[in-house]
Amino acid sequence: MITSINKDIMPENWYNVVPDLPEPLAPPRDSKSDFSSINLLNKILPREVLKQEFTFRRYEKIPDEVMEQYQQIGRPTPLIRAKNLEKFLDYNGKIFYKYEGATASGSHKINTAIPQAYYAKNEGVNGVTTETGAGQWGSATALAASLYKLPAQIFMVKISFEQKPLRKIVMNLYNGNVVPSPSNLTEYGRKVLKEHPDTTGTLGIGISEAIEYALDHDYRYMVASVMNVSLTHQSVIGQETKKQLELLGEHADVLIGCVGGGSNFGGFTFPFIPDHPDTEIIATTADEVPKFSRGEYKYDLMDTGGILPEVRMYSLGADFVPPSIYAGGLRYHGASPSLSLLINKGRIKSDEVTQDEVKEAIKIFANTQGVIIAPESGHAVATMLKYIKEHKNDKKTIVVNVSGHGLLDLSIFGDTQ
Amino acid sequence: MKNLIPYFTLGYPDNQTLMKFLRIMPVNKINYLEFGFPSNDPRYDGPTIRETHKIGNKNFNDNLYKDLFSYFHKNRIKMYSLSYYSDIKPKFNEFIDYLKSRSFSGIIIPDLIIDYYSEAKDTINYLNKNGFEYIPFFSPATPDKIIIDISKLTDSWIYYGLQPSTGIDIPYELDYTTERINSLLPGREITYGFGIKTEEDIKSLMKSGGSGVAIGSYLEKMLAKNDESGFLEYINRIRGALDA
Ligand SMILES: Cc1ncc(COP(=O)(O)O)c(C=O)c1O
Repeated sequence: MITSINKDIMPENWYNVVPDLPEPLAPPRDSKSDFSSINLLNKILPREVLKQEFTFRRYEKIPDEVMEQYQQIGRPTPLIRAKNLEKFLDYNGKIFYKYEGATASGSHKINTAIPQAYYAKNEGVNGVTTETGAGQWGSATALAASLYKLPAQIFMVKISFEQKPLRKIVMNLYNGNVVPSPSNLTEYGRKVLKEHPDTTGTLGIGISEAIEYALDHDYRYMVASVMNVSLTHQSVIGQETKKQLELLGEHADVLIGCVGGGSNFGGFTFPFIPDHPDTEIIATTADEVPKFSRGEYKYDLMDTGGILPEVRMYSLGADFVPPSIYAGGLRYHGASPSLSLLINKGRIKSDEVTQDEVKEAIKIFANTQGVIIAPESGHAVATMLKYIKEHKNDKKTIVVNVSGHGLLDLSIFGDTQ
Repeated sequence: MKNLIPYFTLGYPDNQTLMKFLRIMPVNKINYLEFGFPSNDPRYDGPTIRETHKIGNKNFNDNLYKDLFSYFHKNRIKMYSLSYYSDIKPKFNEFIDYLKSRSFSGIIIPDLIIDYYSEAKDTINYLNKNGFEYIPFFSPATPDKIIIDISKLTDSWIYYGLQPSTGIDIPYELDYTTERINSLLPGREITYGFGIKTEEDIKSLMKSGGSGVAIGSYLEKMLAKNDESGFLEYINRIRGALDA
């Protein structure tokens, strides 16, 4: 096990998979014919973030200031061999987990929140704003903004806001401002509230609200996931994992992660794409949000309001409102274009798991490894348990990304325990 | 001499205006012409050019341009068609025959390798066999291996878009962009397009070994305003920057 604060494990560059894709990525497209939503990005994203979204360098140097904050919030994160779990499953192969729950904000989300807030700060804007589902992204945004002394306005999907009051406290502690979305702070929010007063909210609505807020207040919008730049920043996860495995003399046969918009998954697995052609890579989603099996691979809106450009991705439709599953972070209707392309070309496989399987996986993980993992990550672990059942005698080395801890999601175990 | 390649969508803003501007085009200042055949779905173009397709679609009448096409041909201006595969696929062979009959030298197909990658090789080989140039169209988002593989199928010049679509203004790193394409395709003739505006940009592109630029959105705006002198002045300025 390698857990020490070891600078050598951290990469100096972010890795961008686009130049290494098997086919060209379809460019983002304007969703409306009368104005350019691509040009609009100039006004809502920090310039450097936008540049990184479109320049497609294979390697982008991580600024020293960002590197320093990465260390402050707990990078590199541990890669732990789950020996107890191996024993429990009577598995003859090896199981490793990369533990992103060990960061200060409790999930991988901080990996892209820090550089985005850093670039926004450098441009001297008024603040940053974003949407959040389960609250992990909102917490990371609030923390990153607070590190750079920027105000943060966070639109939290209404149902999560109501179900997860502790998240709001966390964000407030980090000096973040949080409102349930749809909210009265934006025209779009007011419109949705008027048309659907009982709506539970969606990430798509939250995105539209945050963007409108950014435009009206000279804030910058923080990109949680889906857009390429967030996957690029998250590549610290996979690059560290590669290095840690190398130091242990191990080779990953299988990589498993969960997919909301694809940021932790892409960050974890893409660094393996160029030089691990034989590594099996599996993306997990919830049964209730079957984007890869039942979604269509097509141009679709990233946000419900259609302010952002369209991208080609697997999508269940931008107005898809999923049932309220345990993992708020997995309710998004689509998945990052680069990940979608790799799934479409068969390089990455997908799996779906039920809520019961997720709950069981979280329990098993807690009982064996002691870590209470996020419900999102519980999906990845559930897929791994299925995989091991089906490949009992294969002796593979499986690495799963545990994208966050679940200490603020315990209510899912409530009375049913 | 570096290549200046003006772009026009056929039929925009109307046939008469476009023909008038084409007639005053200083043929000694330009090298190639790129004509957009109006598309039903110009998906990889920005708002300005998209609008020209919408209007061009209603107006375009091939017969009117016959003489102009042959005039440019006689003046040794190579003509290229910019056509979306989604439009021409159903009658591809006939369309190529038609372009040849109008003295076009080749074709740029922005959606071919993005949306029809599995058909790209056969399509390019067909064009090769028929002595019609296929101009590979790449952007910073095109993966390295694709740039290399597709370029190998032809020996024509390369069209390299600096932006995700025309008339878009996203920050980009000129040095990195040119270094990358030069290192992937050493010695190849690279023409830059999509979102080129300033003369400074053009100068650095040429300094880094670029062989020319294509300009579109800005010219279309001049046509819409019926600004003949602005149009001529702009062509002169770009020519100057290319030759600087
Ligand atoms: C812990 C955790 N894992 C995974 C996700 C899914 O997002 P992504 O696919 O961008 O990693 C989220 C999103 O909120 C999350 O909080």
